[in-house]
Amino acid sequence: MFEQQLINGLTLGMIYALIAVGYTMVYGVIQLINFAHGEIFMLSAFLAVTFITVFGLPIYVVIVLTMGCCALIGVMLDIFAYRPLRQSPRLAALITAIGMSIFLQNLAMIIWGSRPKPFVQDALPAFLRTTALTVGDANISWLQMSIFGTASMLMIALFLIINKTRVGTAMRALSQNRTGAALMGINVNRVISFTFALGSAMGAVAGIMVAIYYNTLYPTMGYVAGVKAFAAAVLGGIGSVPGAMIGGIVLGIAEALGAGYISSLYRDGIAYAVMIAVIIFRPSGILGKSTVEKV
Amino acid sequence: MNPNLKTTLKYLLLAAVFVYPLFSFANEYVLHVMVLIMIYMVLAMGLNIIPGFCGLLDLGYVGFYGIGAYTAGLLTIHFGLSFWVIVPLAALNGAIWGVLLGAPTLRLTGDYFAIVTFGFSELVVLFLTNEIWLTRGPLGLPGIDPVIIDFSWLSTLIHPQWDWYWEFIGPQPYFYLGLFLVALVYVIMGRMEDSRLGRAWFAIREDSIAASSCGVNLLTYKVIGFAISAAIGAVAGAFLARWTMFLSPDMFKFWESFLILCMVVLGGLGNFKGSLVGAAILIALGEVLRIILPALNLPTETRFLAYGMIMVLMMRFKPMGFFPAIATQSRKNPILIKLKKDLGSS
Repeated sequence: MFEQQLINGLTLGMIYALIAVGYTMVYGVIQLINFAHGEIFMLSAFLAVTFITVFGLPIYVVIVLTMGCCALIGVMLDIFAYRPLRQSPRLAALITAIGMSIFLQNLAMIIWGSRPKPFVQDALPAFLRTTALTVGDANISWLQMSIFGTASMLMIALFLIINKTRVGTAMRALSQNRTGAALMGINVNRVISFTFALGSAMGAVAGIMVAIYYNTLYPTMGYVAGVKAFAAAVLGGIGSVPGAMIGGIVLGIAEALGAGYISSLYRDGIAYAVMIAVIIFRPSGILGKSTVEKV
Repeated sequence: MNPNLKTTLKYLLLAAVFVYPLFSFANEYVLHVMVLIMIYMVLAMGLNIIPGFCGLLDLGYVGFYGIGAYTAGLLTIHFGLSFWVIVPLAALNGAIWGVLLGAPTLRLTGDYFAIVTFGFSELVVLFLTNEIWLTRGPLGLPGIDPVIIDFSWLSTLIHPQWDWYWEFIGPQPYFYLGLFLVALVYVIMGRMEDSRLGRAWFAIREDSIAASSCGVNLLTYKVIGFAISAAIGAVAGAFLARWTMFLSPDMFKFWESFLILCMVVLGGLGNFKGSLVGAAILIALGEVLRIILPALNLPTETRFLAYGMIMVLMMRFKPMGFFPAIATQSRKNPILIKLKKDLGSS
């Protein structure tokens, strides 16, 4: 029982971590909570299903294609919604973000309908549902294994992009001092767009994974998952990419264990409670810098 | 248009709205929508304190609305308290939760505050859904008494035959009660805006470092603002409980918070008079879309598409709303008006 919950929590946590890095990177670069990030996660699940059913593409191609599409949506979101408000007060950008989130959610509802849909099972390799290995009482399916594998791979890739490439260096420079970075010849807007693209692509993979894992997709899925991922980002320390990864995993395990041992009715509440507690008692999170207003 | 004529027309329109329920041709549905508009007017004015006056994003306003409504509903069902006792109690309960939530979180940056309020309102809904022993959960809370005005204790003292006891039946009495509440909150908001409190909030919104240097205790004033805003939300909830006589956790989902925020944005951040217009426009629009959307084979929830777009466009092109509050006072200044006239005529 305990091992099984732990494994389930870990799977969930990996997915949360993938979404959380999108929040945390955008926050690090432009200090904005991109509420619409959860919606990109939702759109990716619907786009994937559409690609499979309408064009009959194989799942591996679909994943790459969806990542590309979502990256594009993320960039467009930045260009059309957030870029005009760069010099406005924080409140204006936040309200725009929440407005975009609601807009995209309802757009999906109009295009794909509001009822939950199952994922296209025929498109998946059959072995995913079989058990890969058994540890104690816990069964780990190939699906869970592939989620671990893909998520870990993406995390490592992200880590390398941020720490070893030119554009990653530019992103880190931007998060430290935007004006300074601009004076050093960094094209600020292009780097911000790249950050949105990177975060959205990560979120896209998470969206497809969730749709396959729970075998369901619906237009409001981005809203709950988005807030939980944000809670993970806060838990890890917002603005810190490794923090978001750790926060996601911790939150996933806490949620699975809490639902199993405390009360499954408050399953969603655990994430909110953890988030509020972290914000009240340790707002800088596990790995973050202190963000208390020093006014 | 001649300003005098404009003012006259405005008052005539207002008077027409006031007397409309008294006519026999008054439509029950129209009255229902008007009462709904008034509830949202109170909510929008209350919410305006946080994003409008203090410049902080509150995404969980509906939590306080729900707390107020369930406080009123439960006190009515279990203790049979009068509406006039319940309203202050509900306001107090809302304010207490506002302080409890605001005191630890308002010292953080505004972004954290936004997300904490969101989490709080979700927790309120989860609590209302799951604590079945108290709230009956998703089944809802039926059988709440309507509002009663009971002066029979006084009337029997004066004259044994008199009975000053009225129970609110139908939409008309609620219309006037709602009007009273809107007027009350309006006056309170007006007084607060011009008081030391309001000036402190505006100072915090415009430049918190400068405000703090001038001796404004940021945390205290923000918490006071949050508590007052929560109390107003709870009052609206108490009215809702005694008006609909039924409550369910679904009535307090995140969508409501978003709708109220959209009203505030449309009317103008920091302009509580604009909130009245915002509430009227969006509720009326919602009712229209409720008829149009099913005709187009779309679920009625998709009306939020329009609300989302409104918010994005408002922030982009009219961040102060359609009715900006700035400099209206100086424009009414007789010296300026005279000067303008003189300059225009020459």
